[in-house]
Amino acid sequence: MYSFRGILRGAAFCAALVWLGGMPHEAYAQKNSPDIPVVSNVVAIENARIVQGPARVLQSGTVVFRDGVITAVGRRVDVPYDAHVIDGDSLTVYAGFIDALSHTGIPEPRNQGQPESVPDRSNPPFDRAGITPEASARTALDPDHGDLEKLRNVGFTTIMVAPRGRMLPGQATMALSAGTNSSEMILQGMQPMFFQFTGAQGVYPGTPMAIMSKFRQLYREADRRMRLEAMYAEDPSGLARPPYDAVHEAFFPVVAGDRHVLVWTDEVLEIHRAMTLQEELGFSMILTGLEGGIDTVDKVAGSGLPVALTLDLPDQPRFAAKLKADSLQHILDSYDDETRTATFRDVEAEKENLEARQLWSRSRYVGMAALYENAGIPFAFTTMGVSAGDVHGNLREMIEAGLSREAALAALTVNAAALFGASDRMGSIDTGKMANLIVTDGDVFDEDTSIKMVFVAGQMHEPSNTSLGNRSRDRAEASTSNQ
Amino acid sequence: MNLFMTLVLALTTFLPQQAQQQDDKARQGTYAITNARIETVANGTIENGTVVIEGDRIIAVGENVAIPESARVIDGSGLHIYPGMIDSGTSLGLTEVGSVAETNDTREIGDINPHMDALTAVNPNAIAIPVTRVSGVTTVIAEPSGGLLPGTAAMINLFGYTAEQMTAGAKSVIVQFPAEPSGDRPWWAQEGPDRRQERYRNNMAKLNEVFDRAVLYNQIVSAYEADPTGKERPVYAPEMDALRPVLSGEVSLMVKVNAADDIVKAIAWVQEREFPNVVFSGVNEGWRVADRLAEAGIPVLVGPILATPTRSSDRYDRAYANAGLLSEAGVSVALRSGESENVRQLPFNAGFAATYGMGKEAALRAVTLGPAEIFGIDADYGSIEVGKKANLFVSDGDPFETSTNILALFIDGFNVPIDSRHLDLYQEFLNRDEGRLQPVEILPADN
Amino acid sequence: MNNTIRLFLIALLTVGFLTSDAHAQDVLVRNATVLTVTNGTLQNTDILIRDGIIAQIGSGLRAPRGAEDVDATGKFVMPGIIDAHAHIALSSVNEGTSPVTAEVSMEDVTNPYSLGIYRASAGGVTVSHIMHGSANVIGGQNETIKHRWGATDPDDIRFDGAPRTIKFALGENPTRVHGRRASGGSGAIVPATRMGVEQVLRSAFENGKRYMEAWDAYNAEASTNPRAVPPVWNERLEVMADILRGEILIHCHSYRADEIVMLTRVLGDYGVDRITFQHANEAFKVAPELAEFGAHASVFSDWWSYKFEVYYSTSYNAAILMRNGVVTSINSDSAELNRHLYHEAAKSQRYGGLTDDEALSMITINPAIQLGIQDRVGSIEIGKDGDIAIFEGHPLSIYTIPVLTYVDGVKVFDRENDADDMRVDVDPSAEVGQYEGQVTGRDHMHSHEEVADLMSFFQSVADVDLPHAHTVND
Repeated sequence: MYSFRGILRGAAFCAALVWLGGMPHEAYAQKNSPDIPVVSNVVAIENARIVQGPARVLQSGTVVFRDGVITAVGRRVDVPYDAHVIDGDSLTVYAGFIDALSHTGIPEPRNQGQPESVPDRSNPPFDRAGITPEASARTALDPDHGDLEKLRNVGFTTIMVAPRGRMLPGQATMALSAGTNSSEMILQGMQPMFFQFTGAQGVYPGTPMAIMSKFRQLYREADRRMRLEAMYAEDPSGLARPPYDAVHEAFFPVVAGDRHVLVWTDEVLEIHRAMTLQEELGFSMILTGLEGGIDTVDKVAGSGLPVALTLDLPDQPRFAAKLKADSLQHILDSYDDETRTATFRDVEAEKENLEARQLWSRSRYVGMAALYENAGIPFAFTTMGVSAGDVHGNLREMIEAGLSREAALAALTVNAAALFGASDRMGSIDTGKMANLIVTDGDVFDEDTSIKMVFVAGQMHEPSNTSLGNRSRDRAEASTSNQ
Repeated sequence: MNLFMTLVLALTTFLPQQAQQQDDKARQGTYAITNARIETVANGTIENGTVVIEGDRIIAVGENVAIPESARVIDGSGLHIYPGMIDSGTSLGLTEVGSVAETNDTREIGDINPHMDALTAVNPNAIAIPVTRVSGVTTVIAEPSGGLLPGTAAMINLFGYTAEQMTAGAKSVIVQFPAEPSGDRPWWAQEGPDRRQERYRNNMAKLNEVFDRAVLYNQIVSAYEADPTGKERPVYAPEMDALRPVLSGEVSLMVKVNAADDIVKAIAWVQEREFPNVVFSGVNEGWRVADRLAEAGIPVLVGPILATPTRSSDRYDRAYANAGLLSEAGVSVALRSGESENVRQLPFNAGFAATYGMGKEAALRAVTLGPAEIFGIDADYGSIEVGKKANLFVSDGDPFETSTNILALFIDGFNVPIDSRHLDLYQEFLNRDEGRLQPVEILPADN
Repeated sequence: MNNTIRLFLIALLTVGFLTSDAHAQDVLVRNATVLTVTNGTLQNTDILIRDGIIAQIGSGLRAPRGAEDVDATGKFVMPGIIDAHAHIALSSVNEGTSPVTAEVSMEDVTNPYSLGIYRASAGGVTVSHIMHGSANVIGGQNETIKHRWGATDPDDIRFDGAPRTIKFALGENPTRVHGRRASGGSGAIVPATRMGVEQVLRSAFENGKRYMEAWDAYNAEASTNPRAVPPVWNERLEVMADILRGEILIHCHSYRADEIVMLTRVLGDYGVDRITFQHANEAFKVAPELAEFGAHASVFSDWWSYKFEVYYSTSYNAAILMRNGVVTSINSDSAELNRHLYHEAAKSQRYGGLTDDEALSMITINPAIQLGIQDRVGSIEIGKDGDIAIFEGHPLSIYTIPVLTYVDGVKVFDRENDADDMRVDVDPSAEVGQYEGQVTGRDHMHSHEEVADLMSFFQSVADVDLPHAHTVND
């Protein structure tokens, strides 16, 4: 049943879709339009500054790629006769960024209303409980999803895409950020089981504590069933047929150590929970998010777990939004924990002091990546929950707070590749690797730099709006499309 | 020695010649409590004195007073006499069992209910009333709640069988002053900031409209009352009738407000509207704007004192200290427990306020003469003075002190027995099996 | 600004804010009135805490090098207060989706950042038993924590070595949450009555027993038969089996006398004997039965009448229980009351005339016994943990002021020197200086987190009206 308002909202949404969908086609229709015959599968970017990897810079060199694979890179490289040559003078080439986790390209579930009720909420069907580890992002990926282009425009060429859902939505997959169909986008390799502390609606498991218990239950019962199946396979005689369901079966490779669990944590207590489970059960885990995980640096470092940090930063409090960096710093430095608010006379001073405390708190979030770098933790970055338009602004803030540019670049490239066992294919500009590249007109972490081109598996994409400086652009777009 | 035995002993010792008092009936008469330490509140402490009660009044107080021959004498040696404590904000009598809706009469349908009179709904036989008064709390404000104008609160004495017997004379029309929402969405809010801001503005507009119309209605009715000749009869608007005495100042306006910013707005609001008789109630963050409250001369009913701070950045003891800080800034303060069945915690609320800055004397005043003055009933209540109502109690110590016991109680001159369901259950169950010969057994289920 | 300087500043600030490194310290408290609780009151006495343990009690003790020196002349020292029923320091409280959720544990949702830890220690509390809510007949396992304020790892506030405990709940809460959803509509399941509560308990115990026996049988068979088939793994029944093995202490939310006796009957049938009845407003009516069974009670000082099952109760409950030989404690179940448990205990002197030691025992050694930690805390004795609370004025007086609190010899509260704003974490995006409301005893609400947790749960259940949130938490 539709309400009038619902229809209006639907119409607005469709209009927004059309508008969003229209943009990218117009933007690169000139060069990538399918009605123009392709005459060359070779590209050479000549005389460019090539950042092959963190702290591996060719001040002037050439990179050549054919059929999506880098065939040569160096100061002096022969350019094939059939190459489409791009003059790289004043340009810089980077390896394409790898997003260690997001839902980019996975459509929102259509039915967002009240969940269906079940006869026994203490024991709901697996799917109602948000437990579908057998599902895969591969079947859910939508190549036309608008978020793919947004993320590609800020430099991401590869994404570890996880299905949407609750506790165990399914398996994630590595995918390119462009492709005409999902087969072109999906990459071979690791398909970790995605896990998060999101409870089911109104049924078990509803809270984080029940999610912890449910995970233990599934894991330990899967362990039992795996052994039963082995016994049964060896000799079924006299044994009851082992029970089967897809959920427990999806856990078998996790129990066997053949599949990672990719855990999303978006507050510090979830980091502890994830580490508790991993320590108890001993599975291979990739820890992602870690927002607010300032106090967990040592614990994470000690665990040796692979880590992908969030690219999100908390919003500035309202009072700070209008202030310049210098005055913010001045306020931050003025914090005094000796200040007492003894009577009404002290109320004004208290406010200033609390504002300083608040800025201090935010500065810890901003400085978190630097803390992880200093602790020697080789982390990647995830864009989960972050607007693509905020990525570079947030990176610049983190760098300002002490994160080295090398570490930032490593997080976005080589570290992420290593995290997913894909260092042999991506993460740097080296012969034999995929031609996932970003071409900029300056240092990619500078505010006045623009991304001119993004190559995904050798295919060129030119962002419609190339500037990385305007932090709120994407947000403004998002709010437009919501109306 | 357990309390029950203490009480039995106390009563028999105090009232040796009054064998007929054993029937546990509250009785008026002529009483003299002698040789006690008398905390008059109005005129200091009499270290060894006598209070004489006749009918519903105190007829003599002092070191050397003549004891009428007919008086029943209570030997107060080693004991203390205090004026009955007044709680300036409760729902006592309006609610019996918190979670059972049928037993709650605090919240009427609608937003504009100044004509809903708490005195009507107070159950004189509520089990919580005796439970409360045996702590020395003799008088409370019973408040309706909910909506913009929840109703008219009533000052009641905690003994009597009808509203007429219980009323202590004062009433107060309550305004729940709209709280301006912050930019953040609090943990409980289902609505976004814009919606809550809109609701706030609507509530404020509605409140102003109510009082604009009340002023107009008052003019119309006053003119009609002065001379009805040739005038249309005014409309029937009981809500507005209930607000007329507020406009005249005959009845006070009790503005419920807590956050510092809201208190500042409420001060401006009552000043702009020139209400002649205003008190603020709740006032959790009053200390933050104590100077403004003092300057405006608005008395405050503060509490509960036993509460957490209003902000997570606040010092841990702010709620304890609030009343003292207000008092120190020159604001007239009375205390409220905000309780229903546990109004007996009023003396403990006062004790915490006293400890955290207010001092014992000011705290005692804030539960006796202070509220009596604020509500204009100080001619009858709030202190031990000749001519005042005999609302007082006899204790074995400072009534705020946790271990103190109340040994005798007078309300409206009635010598009210120290008894309540809590004491009855104690009496029955302390030694439950005294009369039992067989051992206590826990039977297995199958037997 | 230079990044190095900036980082340095951040590091400096961090050190400034997070004072506690939670390592044990040496403290000499001199010339105090010491309320040992188990060995009477000692005048003009010194207490030496070394490496977090009470090492000496006497006079003229000398401070070892580097020890903190506390002149407590005119002050009172008592054992750190133990709150046997709290819901602070938790990020969720009720898994209200099932009448039995023995498998969930507060261990997994312990929140060391919760300001309630500090606020309670400002009232002398050093140990809290943080519990699952009362929505389920068998709720989750609880956690015993130490108030090591400033710690950020949940593991760092656990009371190491404290026995496991579990929450049970009888009466109105589980019957309303499960049996009377939508007025007995389609979602309603057993229990809707106190009869149903008993059967839910019996069924859980019986299934646990059978599960335990099945595993015992399997383990015996597996040694000889490599093809033995292990029983289906069940986290819930694992916990029930551990209860039957006596490894988990039961703390049962209960009010009415009949239901209290019912549970002792069920436990008797399954040979379980370690139980503390929580709230137990009508325990006084069956005090002789509780004494006989050896059950303990952990009660409110004076709460009553907020719901029907506490209408026929009395503030003399604690005194009657104590006088009948039942090990009794006074708890808070509230983020407000837990800041003045010393005052709650003192009420037993007005309501029943208990002695100072009896009153103090109800917030120290008795809750320690109920939590199985009485060898470590609950009194001031040599060899016990250095958990102490120092007061100006006798702690049972209304005019007392807690001034210093130590956990394991580490100062966690200092009235004179603590900052006003003691938060360990600060929401970076929140508006500064907003009114957040108050928790009062009247609310019977335990903390904002828990209420939020409950609200979100009930909002997520499609067909249920929002209940009176407060009555499910206690």
